Amino acid sequence: MTWLAWRLQRTETLVAAGILALTAALLVPTGISMSEAFHHDGLGSCLAPNPGLSCVQKIGAFQSHYQALNFVTNWFTLVPGVLGVLLAAPFILDLEHRTYRLVWTQSITRRRWVAVKLALAGFAAVGASAVLIALITWWRTPLTDIGGRLDTGTYDTTGTVAIGYALFALGLAAAIGAVWRRSAVSLTLAFVGYFAVRIVDDYWLRNQLASPLHATWRGGRLPDYLEKANILSQSITVNGRVVDRGSGTGGVLGAHAQLAAPGSDRNAVFHAVYQPASYFWTLQIRETLLFTAVGAACLVFAAVWTQRRVA
Amino acid sequence: MENAAVRCEGLGKQYGSTWALSDCTLEIPAGSITALVGPNGAGKTTLLHLVIGLMRPTKGSVAVLGQSPSAKAAELLPRLGFVAQDHPLYRNLTVTETLELGRRLNPGWDAAYARERVARLGLDGRRKVGKLSGGQQAQVALTLALAKRPQLLVLDEPVASLDPLARREFLNAVLEAVAEGDVTVILSSHIVSELERVCDHMVALIQSHTRLAGPIDEILASHRVLIGPRTGATGVARVHDVIRESHTERQTTLLVRANGHVYDTCWQQHEVDLEEVVLAYMGYAPGGAMPLPEPEAVA
Amino acid sequence: MIAFHLDNRSGVPAYMQLVHQVRQAIRLGTLRPGDQLPTVKEVVATLTINPNTVLHAYRQLDMEGLAEGRRGVGTFVAAMPDTPPPDGLDRLRSSLARWVASARDRGLDDEAMTGLFTEAVRASAGSREVA
Repeated sequence: MTWLAWRLQRTETLVAAGILALTAALLVPTGISMSEAFHHDGLGSCLAPNPGLSCVQKIGAFQSHYQALNFVTNWFTLVPGVLGVLLAAPFILDLEHRTYRLVWTQSITRRRWVAVKLALAGFAAVGASAVLIALITWWRTPLTDIGGRLDTGTYDTTGTVAIGYALFALGLAAAIGAVWRRSAVSLTLAFVGYFAVRIVDDYWLRNQLASPLHATWRGGRLPDYLEKANILSQSITVNGRVVDRGSGTGGVLGAHAQLAAPGSDRNAVFHAVYQPASYFWTLQIRETLLFTAVGAACLVFAAVWTQRRVA
Repeated sequence: MENAAVRCEGLGKQYGSTWALSDCTLEIPAGSITALVGPNGAGKTTLLHLVIGLMRPTKGSVAVLGQSPSAKAAELLPRLGFVAQDHPLYRNLTVTETLELGRRLNPGWDAAYARERVARLGLDGRRKVGKLSGGQQAQVALTLALAKRPQLLVLDEPVASLDPLARREFLNAVLEAVAEGDVTVILSSHIVSELERVCDHMVALIQSHTRLAGPIDEILASHRVLIGPRTGATGVARVHDVIRESHTERQTTLLVRANGHVYDTCWQQHEVDLEEVVLAYMGYAPGGAMPLPEPEAVA
Repeated sequence: MIAFHLDNRSGVPAYMQLVHQVRQAIRLGTLRPGDQLPTVKEVVATLTINPNTVLHAYRQLDMEGLAEGRRGVGTFVAAMPDTPPPDGLDRLRSSLARWVASARDRGLDDEAMTGLFTEAVRASAGSREVA
C-alpha cells in the first residue's frame, strides 16, 4: 500500500521537486560565479585576523555586489514551510473528497492507512528539506566564511532546522486539515500559522535556546569574535552610566561611531549580549528537535483525530 | 439459510444532539438481496456505515457475518464489498491503477475477474477515472467491490445519479454476481419501484426507525388496500394493522397489514405495490384525511 | 430458445409470468422437449430480476413436470403440458359464448364482463389455495 500512498502523493511530490529545481536553477549558476569571484579576489586569505585595509575594502565590495541576491535568498526561509504544507495536501484531500470511504473499506485498517500516508509525507518533507539545505549551504559558503552563520537568513536555511520547520509545517497542516477537512482553508491557515510561529522563533525563541554571553570592550571596532556572533543587545556606558542601548547589530555602535574612533573618550565602554558563532550547532540541534517534536505531535494528533472522529 | 448475514439489536447512532438512527433491530438473511428504503435523512447511510464498520454505534450492537464490524475490521473487511454513495474513487488514478489499488489493498483479490469485467465494460485502462461517465465510474467502483469476492455486498444508493441505461447495467452486474455465487446484497435506494423485481427482502427506515422489514413477497401478500363505504377504521383495526386511512364523503380507503384473511365483505380488496406500501408507512395520505365520523357498528 | 418478457403492470408475480411463458411456448411448439431453457444468468441479464425468481419459476416447472434441471448443465424442457382433449375445449368455448351473450343482454360492457370474470378466477384460485 505504500505504492498507493506514493501514487496519490505524486502531484505534490512533483511540485516539491519543481520548487527545488527552480531554486537550483537560481542558485547553481550564481553560486558558481560567487565562488569564483571569492577565490579570484583572494578573499580567503583576507579572513585571517587583522586583515589589511585592502582586504576590508575587497570584502565590502564583495558583500555589496551580492547583497541583492543575498536578500532574495533570505526569503528561502519560507520554502520549508511551503514544502511541508504542500505535502499535507493529499492527506487532507482524502478527507475533503471523502475518498476514505473507498480506501478504509478495502481490507486494511484505517489506522494503517493514515499512518502510512503521514509517514510518507514526513519522509518526503525531510528529503526535500535536506536537498534544500544542501543547495543553500553550498551556495552560501563564501558569505558564511565572511559573515558567519548566525544571521537569520543563513541560520534558517543551513544546518538542520529547515527539516524541523518542514515537519512542523506538515504537522500543522495535517492537524488543521484533520479537523477542518477543507484543503484550501486548511493549507492557507497552516501556512499563516507557520509564518507567525517562525517570526516569533527567529526574533525571540532562538535567543532563549542557549544562555547568551556578555562582552565588553573599549573603543576601536567591534571585536573579531563578535563579527560572526548573533548580537542580542548592546549598550554603551560612560563612567558606569548607560548612555545608550539597543538591540541587534547595527544600532548603537553605528550611532556612536565617534565614541569608538581612536582618540575619543577612553571611558566609553561598549557592552554586548550575544550568542557566539560556536553556538551554531547547539542552537541548530535544539531548535530542530523542538520543531520536530511539535510537528510530530501534530501528526499524531491528526492521525488519532482522523481515526476516531471521521466516519 | 439459517444464518443472518447482518443482525442489528437496538442499534443507534447519535451525532451531537440528533439521533441519526434509533433502536434499529433487524436481521438480513444470508443469500438475500435486501432493499433498504426510506426518505433522505432517514438514516440509511448511517445504518450502512455501521454495517461496514466505518462508524461505531452509540447504542446497541451490529453483527456482520457473526462479528462486530468496527472491532474486527481487519478480519471482516476482506469479506465485505462496499460502494459508498456517489461511488467515491480517486479521480486522478487511471482505471488500471484503480484496479491495482484493489489488488494491493485486498488479500483475496481476483485480478483476472477484475480485468475481465473492465474489458467487458469496454473501458480503456489508461483513462483517468475522473474522465469517465457517471455510469462507468459506478461500474468501476462496483468492480472494486466484486473482485474481492465478498460474502456481503453493501451498496449505498448506487444508482441514484445514473441514467436509466446505466442503472440497468449496474443492477445487472450485481445480479450476475449473485447468480454466480453466494453473496448477500444490501442496497439502499429512495426509489422503491425498481427494487421490486431485483430484491427479495426489504427494510424500510422512516425517521431513523425501522418500520417495516421482511421478505417482499410476504409484505406484498399481507398488505392490501380496502375500499368500502364511509366508516370508521376501528372495526378493521381490531384484527388488522391499519397503516393509512383516508375518507371522502361516501367512501373510506384503508391500507392495512392483514393478520389473516379479511372476511368482511363490505370491503373491496386490492393488491398494492411496494411503493404504495412504503409511502403509506411514511405517512403519505392521498387527498388528505378527513375527520372520522362516529364509528358505526360494522357487521 | 425462448426470450422472456415481464409485464410490470399485470399484477401477476414475476415467477408466474415466466412459468406461463414457458408453458405457452411449449404449447405453441416454440419449445420442444430437449430444448434448453435460458440459464439463470441469461434471464437475469435480460430482465434484471432476482435470480431467485428464476429459480422459483424453474422449480415450479420442474414440479409440473414440464422441465427438469440437470446439475451443472442447465434446465431442459421435459414434456408437453397436459392439454385438455379438443372436444373439452370446444364445449368450454361455446358455454363461454353463451355467457357473454347473456351478459350483454343485461347491459354489461366489456370492462364489466372482464371484471366479473377476473373476480371469479381469483375467487376460485383463492379457494383452491385454502383447500
